[in-house]
Amino acid sequence: MRRVGSQVLLVLAMMLSMTASWADDAVVLVCANDGPIADISSLEVRKTYLGISVRIAGIPVRPVRQRDDDRLNLIFLQSVMAMSQKSYERRLLSMMLKYGTPRPAEVDDREEMIDTLERNPYAVGYMWKSDAESDPRVRTIKVLWQKL
Amino acid sequence: MKSRRKMAHRHRWRAAVLAKILMLFTLASGQISRAESPHDIVAFLSVQGFEKFSASDPMLEESNIHSTADFLYTYNSDRFRFLGEFIWSDSEAEMERLQAAWVIDDQTLLWFGRFHSISNYWTTEFHHGQYLQTSISRPGLEEWEDASGPAPSHVTGALFQHDFVLENQSALNFAFAAGIAPKFEGQQLVAFDVFDPASGHDLAVTGRLTYRPEVLSMNQIGLTISHNDIAVDSDSNPALSDLNSIRQATLGFFTNWHWDKWRVLSNWMYFDIDMQYGSGTVNDRFLLGYVQAEYEASEDWTIFGRTELGDDEDDSTYLSLLPAVVAHRHMLGVRWDFADRHGLTFEIADTSQQADSPQHDSFKEARIQWSAVFR
Repeated sequence: MRRVGSQVLLVLAMMLSMTASWADDAVVLVCANDGPIADISSLEVRKTYLGISVRIAGIPVRPVRQRDDDRLNLIFLQSVMAMSQKSYERRLLSMMLKYGTPRPAEVDDREEMIDTLERNPYAVGYMWKSDAESDPRVRTIKVLWQKL
Repeated sequence: MKSRRKMAHRHRWRAAVLAKILMLFTLASGQISRAESPHDIVAFLSVQGFEKFSASDPMLEESNIHSTADFLYTYNSDRFRFLGEFIWSDSEAEMERLQAAWVIDDQTLLWFGRFHSISNYWTTEFHHGQYLQTSISRPGLEEWEDASGPAPSHVTGALFQHDFVLENQSALNFAFAAGIAPKFEGQQLVAFDVFDPASGHDLAVTGRLTYRPEVLSMNQIGLTISHNDIAVDSDSNPALSDLNSIRQATLGFFTNWHWDKWRVLSNWMYFDIDMQYGSGTVNDRFLLGYVQAEYEASEDWTIFGRTELGDDEDDSTYLSLLPAVVAHRHMLGVRWDFADRHGLTFEIADTSQQADSPQHDSFKEARIQWSAVFR
């Protein structure tokens, strides 16, 4: 009886962890909660993350990347930028080498990302939907990727 | 003359040492945060082993190891951009590019300073960033001045660049530059030295038109045009004793195109040169070009090859003054990308250089290189 009970608990724990994983399976573009950016097209997202200037109300959008989450970066690059990590890094370096084009800002973790967004009203970043929903300091602009 | 050169040399070394100290300090301190700083710095490092063998003249055979560090610094604000590229190797320490731009709008830049000539496609695609070019060697057509490059690589003056993004998201880029051209000294072109402004250089005017069918893509084709008045230091080489100046006009076509796992890089340049001797003018016309094909066998492995050819270059009077220029090369190579931003590349080539007769000097080349970028 005790053995059956522990098996049920194990299954429940697995289901809970899967639920958490499903909730994470969407990537959203965010800005500071009181930021002025209401909408930005997918093409503009790609442009700004490639160092091509995109302006909203005449102010340049500042893209921010988060270094510590490999899976998040992989999904963003493959699904949004349609590039491998290697191609993307090379493209940014090439633009910097050729034209002095600034590369997207990079932060170490989600907390630093949110701090950066709060300091720059025209900065955008990408994160898991569940993280964005649970933090009142950021606002979702659009869903970039969702697991089907 | 000698004392001016000495002084210029001293200034150059002071500037080089200063730049080294600043850049090493910046790298070591790690103070630049990519999060919000307008400053950015990267370092391209490479070490190359080179072997020249089976030469038509055994005196040409050699082997060496060559290491290079290329530092790139940029500063960006809304209306101002600065770019400095400093190369430090076992054979030179030089500020390769030092240019500042007025950002007129998001599509338009007006640069002033020392920059790479926009008529050389490879040069302006990879500059000194060895890690970013798939091959180890550069095509002979696009060699630097101090490696017997036939066309100017460095111009000091003004550069205007404008991007037109069309409604269908294709793009046209127009660039125009005017500035001080290199001069011909000894057996090579010598770029203008800002620390020796009275060194006697003439004008270079260049233009470039590039079409990209998709603004976000790197695929492109384009045309280049240039006119270079090249002053000659007649005392530097007996072969130049009666040569007063060189007028070099070029017309080029380039492409850089990706299809799935394939990439083709090519540049062809037609030279029309008037060499003004005391006894009269010699006109010299020839074509130089290359095609490099690359196949990405996997995410980490790339196989590549390049052929460099020409037309009427064998009898060129101008190229005979540049005996080390590579006239023909057929090269194969393989590159392995590892550990995020490191590359290990091997190349083998059958090469001939111009020498001072139509027979050329021929030899085989083998190169192995580690390259990396630190950011």
